[in-house]
Amino acid sequence: MMHFLAAAVGTVAFALIFDVPPRYYALCALIGGAGFWLIELIMSFGLSQTEATFLATMFVTLSSRICAVWRRCPVTVFLISGIIPLVPGAGVYWTAYYLVMGNTSEALTRGFDALRAAVAIVLGIVLVLEIPNRLFHPHRVEK
Amino acid sequence: MDEVLDVAFEAGHILLESGAEIFRVEETMRRISRYFGVDEGHKEFFVLANGLFATGKTERGHYAKVVQSRVSSARLSRVVAINQLSRQIEQGRYTLPEVKEELRRIKNIPEPPKFLLIFSAGVGSAAFCCMFGGGLSDCVAAFMAGLILYTFVVFVSEGRMSKISGNLIGGMIVTVVCLLFQKLGLGRDLSHMIIGGIIPLVPGMAFTNGIRDIADGDYISGAVRLLDALLVFMCIAVGVGMVFTVYRHLWGGVPL
Repeated sequence: MMHFLAAAVGTVAFALIFDVPPRYYALCALIGGAGFWLIELIMSFGLSQTEATFLATMFVTLSSRICAVWRRCPVTVFLISGIIPLVPGAGVYWTAYYLVMGNTSEALTRGFDALRAAVAIVLGIVLVLEIPNRLFHPHRVEK
Repeated sequence: MDEVLDVAFEAGHILLESGAEIFRVEETMRRISRYFGVDEGHKEFFVLANGLFATGKTERGHYAKVVQSRVSSARLSRVVAINQLSRQIEQGRYTLPEVKEELRRIKNIPEPPKFLLIFSAGVGSAAFCCMFGGGLSDCVAAFMAGLILYTFVVFVSEGRMSKISGNLIGGMIVTVVCLLFQKLGLGRDLSHMIIGGIIPLVPGMAFTNGIRDIADGDYISGAVRLLDALLVFMCIAVGVGMVFTVYRHLWGGVPL
């Protein structure tokens, strides 16, 4: 719960830096917070961090698309803010740390973990973006 | 007709500079010109991550325009505004001069005030420090580190320094500040403090947009943006590592 709140607050902080209009802050917070919380939840079921990141990214992208249709604004607004908590910033730090400490094997492990998380994010976003747009417009007839 | 292409071009230019995906930029330019009567086949737009090209055939001859552009900082409020504008154009709610006027207004939407940017960088740092397991005092230290870092970003590095040196020095500043705080007794867990502190530098927009461009088939722009993100990640890591190395030589051992 604490981490959900922290992730939500962090997402809004980034939304502000990205100059997202304030009327979208609440949804950004919800998406970002839930995305990060999902990673922890999924990992508690015994899945790896990469798998958890993949599923959480799919959730974030999907809910961003739904919100974009609902609020009639570019999906970018929610997606960029909501993805931030999932980006492996900590992995980058640990890689640098172990490299400097001369612990190459640990540095490699951490570096590849970060890379795997990044690939998981890529796959998650790409797959959900492939879903045809009309599925998100149940009430509107396609032109 | 020249005017129509000019307006479409301007809309695309603002979008590209504010951090929109390539697909959206091209689509918006196409929509605006189509609505105001420039048919397919009479114009062609080509958009890359760092430039726009437009050519067209008009009654007065040929139209051509090229602009180099650079994404300075994310300005999603402009992307939202132009998205709404292009929607309303298609509903027939704007004449050409009105679109021009509206574009001028959108271009002048003010940036969030600097102190607010700096403050939210601090809040972001503290929040991420907490997410990765830092305690309360670590978060306070990360908050201050984020403030100091973003003061540097806003007043010194952004727009003036190259991305490489800006992020390298940014990573160094965070590490030095956090080491200092730890020596002064503020914050216990150095790693969590630094992880929180460097978060405002993380290139979330370049990363996400690069992925989206590649998903849309805009490989060149996507590759450029992903390279940009990768470079920034590496520079942050090198910046942190450099300070640790110096510290190790001066005092021996890196404190955790």
